[in-house]
Amino acid sequence: MTAAGVAAGGAQAAGVVGDGAQADEVAADQERLDYARAAIEYAYDQGWTDGLPVVPVTRPMVEEFLAQTSRPADEVIAAVPHLNRQCTVEQAAVNAALAGCRPEYFPVVLAAWDALMREKAVVGGGWQSTSGPAPLIVVNGPIRHRLGINCAGGVLGPGFRANATIARSIGLVVRNVFGIRPQELEQATQGLPGRWTLCVGENEEESPWEPLAAEVGLPAGTDAVCATLLRTCEFVDNRHTQNPEELLTDFADTISRTGAAIVPYSSAGLVLGVEHAQLLAANGFTKRDVQQWLYERCVRSHEDLERAGKGLGGWNRAGGAGGRPRIDEYGLHMLPSPEQLMIVVAGARNAAMSMVVRPFGFAGWSRTAVAIESRE
Amino acid sequence: MFSAMIDPTAGPATAAKATALAARKPDLRGSRVGLLANVKRNAEQFLDEVGALLRQEHGVAEVVRRKKMSITDPVPREILDELVAECDVVVVGVGDCGSCSASAVADGLALEAAGVPAAVVCTDAFKVSADAMAALQGSPGYHYVRTAHPVAPLSQPELRERAVAALPEIVATLTTGHPRVAM
Repeated sequence: MTAAGVAAGGAQAAGVVGDGAQADEVAADQERLDYARAAIEYAYDQGWTDGLPVVPVTRPMVEEFLAQTSRPADEVIAAVPHLNRQCTVEQAAVNAALAGCRPEYFPVVLAAWDALMREKAVVGGGWQSTSGPAPLIVVNGPIRHRLGINCAGGVLGPGFRANATIARSIGLVVRNVFGIRPQELEQATQGLPGRWTLCVGENEEESPWEPLAAEVGLPAGTDAVCATLLRTCEFVDNRHTQNPEELLTDFADTISRTGAAIVPYSSAGLVLGVEHAQLLAANGFTKRDVQQWLYERCVRSHEDLERAGKGLGGWNRAGGAGGRPRIDEYGLHMLPSPEQLMIVVAGARNAAMSMVVRPFGFAGWSRTAVAIESRE
Repeated sequence: MFSAMIDPTAGPATAAKATALAARKPDLRGSRVGLLANVKRNAEQFLDEVGALLRQEHGVAEVVRRKKMSITDPVPREILDELVAECDVVVVGVGDCGSCSASAVADGLALEAAGVPAAVVCTDAFKVSADAMAALQGSPGYHYVRTAHPVAPLSQPELRERAVAALPEIVATLTTGHPRVAM
């Protein structure tokens, strides 16, 4: 269409030209759209939004969401006891609708809350933390395809309603139901980009290994959610080697950076690109092997930590009595244990790049998966 | 307008009631002072400096040290009971993070409710969080002592200076010397 044609079309839609009946319909529609816009503005005025527009929620909408679960509307699914706040199934449904979820996403939202509430960092005040951590919600099983949960290209980015709105619904509960708002009870120093957007499907079809939910104990093929809190993602671009140990060495460098050491603790996980995962598997590495390899080698020396002003001086360098379990004569082990290195395979098989992710808190993730309820 | 739109917010699970402050004495002579530290770096060291100064300068007879391991949860019942049984007043601190500042205020109010005057010390960076917790607990405007942020990286001499600077307000908060906010 030419520019003139676009202009003409635009004028028609605005009701400037056309017959009388069409003009009336356009005017009526415009009035309804103005009302919709005013409703969105009203939600802003009430302080209900995370900064982006929300969907106005009505009682029948909430009922549509509640119809997706057998759980009673008044069941408490999450709580912040030290703030005297709790969230019911119904409040989660309202905020899922507000976030833009379709009703059929709601069982995933509930499973995500169940998984998050198994995380010590979540029940221990993580939502208020200066580090402003983001929930990472990993979805396994065929439900990814039924709901359109992206697990391939751009998996950590925007563009997919299910991914974007399921994660956003968590943030809206934190804000609206728990009353934890930025610069008030939430004290994030800088926060992090995409805090309420990290819902990802695992690319099970192209992963060489068992899905995360299966690794932690659910039968393969189960629709399930695993979740934890993250402080950030850091890319590792390695399109340079076919050698698995060289690739792991590259991961180890990022995992071991001193900035992520809150001595005597640190943590890491991997959202592996498909090419990296397949390279490792083709060379005989299981997930467990990758975890063990990195656990053993991700150690930062005392000298490096001291140069960064993070010396472990007070703790016994030699370990043993009076020492700390993660500190030895060489330095600090960056991973608390091999199995605490969460490995998820996600993204497109079009470039050899991966993300190191940084779980928040020192208690480790629960290493459990929550099955997603199905009413079919 | 918008009467059909569902409000997505929720209030406290149970209604919060204002906490009446515990009765104060004119001074701290001969008193037993509790120090309730959290696990944030330098919290115990700061409170120890405060404790030493209270002994030296205000005739405090005894200092009782306690530490709570969760930065977010309220002080455990058994520690609260010990402090109430063994202390005349308690200094709580240091609120130097998002959730521990809020938690310190909640602990101060719990002590007051149990009849023990408390002085909560938070850093100025967490005023909003501490105030929000006081409001959440039904006691908006609850007075706490502020020290400059940060406390975590300070050296021992610097901590001493901080304690010296905060001491008059801590003492005033624990005694009748402070113009307290009405509840």
